[in-house]
Amino acid sequence: MANFVQIRDLKVTYAPETGAPVRALEGVSLEIARGEIVGILGESGCGKSTLASALLRLLPPHATCEAGTISIDGRDLMQLSERDLRAIRGKEVSMIPQDPALSLNPVMTAGSQISEVLRAHLPLTAKQRRERVMELLREVGFDSPEEIYAAYPHQLSGGQRQRIAIAQAISCVPALLIADEPTSKLDASLQTEIVALLSRIRQQHGTAILVISHDPSLFAGFADRIAVMYAGRIVEVGSTAAIFRKSLHPYTQALVSIAASTLVSATDTKAPLPAIAGESPDPTCVPLGCRFEPRCAERMEACSIRYPAEFIPEPARLVSCFKYGE
Amino acid sequence: MHNSPTNSTDETPSLLRVHGLSKRYVRGALWRRVTVAAVNCVSFEIPRGQTLALVGESGSGKSTVARCVTRLERPDTGQILIDGTDISSIDSRALAPFRARIQMVFQDAGTAMNPRFTALEVIEEPLLIQSKSRTGNNRPLSHDAARDLMQEVGLTPDWMHRSIRHFSGGQRQRLALARALTLRPQLLVLDETLSGLDLSTQAQIANLLLDLQARHGLTYLLISHDLALVSRLADTIGVMSSGQLVEIGSTRQITSNPTHAATKKLLASVQTAASNLSTVMMMGTA
Repeated sequence: MANFVQIRDLKVTYAPETGAPVRALEGVSLEIARGEIVGILGESGCGKSTLASALLRLLPPHATCEAGTISIDGRDLMQLSERDLRAIRGKEVSMIPQDPALSLNPVMTAGSQISEVLRAHLPLTAKQRRERVMELLREVGFDSPEEIYAAYPHQLSGGQRQRIAIAQAISCVPALLIADEPTSKLDASLQTEIVALLSRIRQQHGTAILVISHDPSLFAGFADRIAVMYAGRIVEVGSTAAIFRKSLHPYTQALVSIAASTLVSATDTKAPLPAIAGESPDPTCVPLGCRFEPRCAERMEACSIRYPAEFIPEPARLVSCFKYGE
Repeated sequence: MHNSPTNSTDETPSLLRVHGLSKRYVRGALWRRVTVAAVNCVSFEIPRGQTLALVGESGSGKSTVARCVTRLERPDTGQILIDGTDISSIDSRALAPFRARIQMVFQDAGTAMNPRFTALEVIEEPLLIQSKSRTGNNRPLSHDAARDLMQEVGLTPDWMHRSIRHFSGGQRQRLALARALTLRPQLLVLDETLSGLDLSTQAQIANLLLDLQARHGLTYLLISHDLALVSRLADTIGVMSSGQLVEIGSTRQITSNPTHAATKKLLASVQTAASNLSTVMMMGTA
């Protein structure tokens, strides 16, 4: 019984023209069920955006997928031709970019940019397309879609632009939506609105959503499951409740406590925040053992010698740390 | 002496006093000019060694206040008093000594540095500019001083001659702070210095700011859209909306008893996130 999206042991290496090659993903496996919202939690350079690009087979030319399989709805993505891939991208799998200000065409109106996606994938007349765009604009929360249809990106605010990008992404009702830091460029009040919008899209269309963020608080009340990535590997997977309530990996524990300290205890004392010392490892020379070991407060002897095996403490739970398992 | 209402109390401990600050921008095409009031009659003060945070949504005018205080912009009206001296309209020659006392750190530190520079060159740049404008010749930073500055912001001094291309985002932000400290300023204007960083890096830099303030008695003007984070760093919080300072009060007051609608809106989004988080953390234990 295969899952809707199945990523198995994915290894991706970047080979820049100058300098040493960098292994961005070191054997990543992840499954996404239909209609499920999965959060990827990780910091810059951990490989989370590489994973998103790989899911659309949109890795840059100097990146090679050395091993692993990706299947979506039973089809092996690695075997598909560029032509087949084009039919899937934007229709069955689509992506919400991090910064819509950069991804929207500045000389096209918002409406025609959404219409463009429809034209590429669906046999609709111009009139039907226009009606569908209006419907989409209303769905992403615009009260007067006519005005927005004719507006250029520079006439819209950041939050409005993000809604346009979402309307574009959901225009063909995809089965999987990839959202790479969808709210990191937005004000806090807009963040909650965008999260609510994505939740509503899942509810109405049964869309599976892969959300990528460095901030665990984005996932609370939103994602069903969370996979935590560190330096190209998934170190922990669990339900959102399990990750927040009883995180196992020391890295996850630290991230959750930082998030909780800035949100929950909004105190008026100028007290230091919990922090993780040090930096992520240099991707050209990652440590032999656990990659978090140099920054970990609970490191043991084994940690620097070999990578901890995956341990499944309970169903639907996974952790790679020597604190757990045999 | 100018007969301003703020000039009567010279013994005030406030390092920075801003009074009636306004700044308008002209936008639009040549034939269709529109004047936008970016900042409208904003007044506040920051006591020595304390932190005032200006929060607000994007476009509320908080960054314009920061740019006026550092005199990257010349305000249309109003006073900016540093230790009682109004710098709002003095010329660049008279401004030079104040530039050393007020330093600014921007959001994306990487773009605010010459990418070909080494760490040492970045740190000593302000000193070279200052000494040149004052005495006409360059006085390079001693390696010992650079070493101290790097250590102070948590960077290994061994990296002094390394090109900043090799520095991560967090390390560049530390370097930006070291550069800001080179001239031993009294006031740091931090414009979204903590945004765009990873969560753990953000926490590290926030702690570094607290640490530097305690060690040197620095005064901070913190510009941010993140009320939750700011409430861990500021003594006083001012809320800006449509160019106006609509509410100002102690951190406790603003986070527990807000009065203005804009403050309530900012707080509501923090509280939504907080309650989502506490709900998910409590689940099963209740």
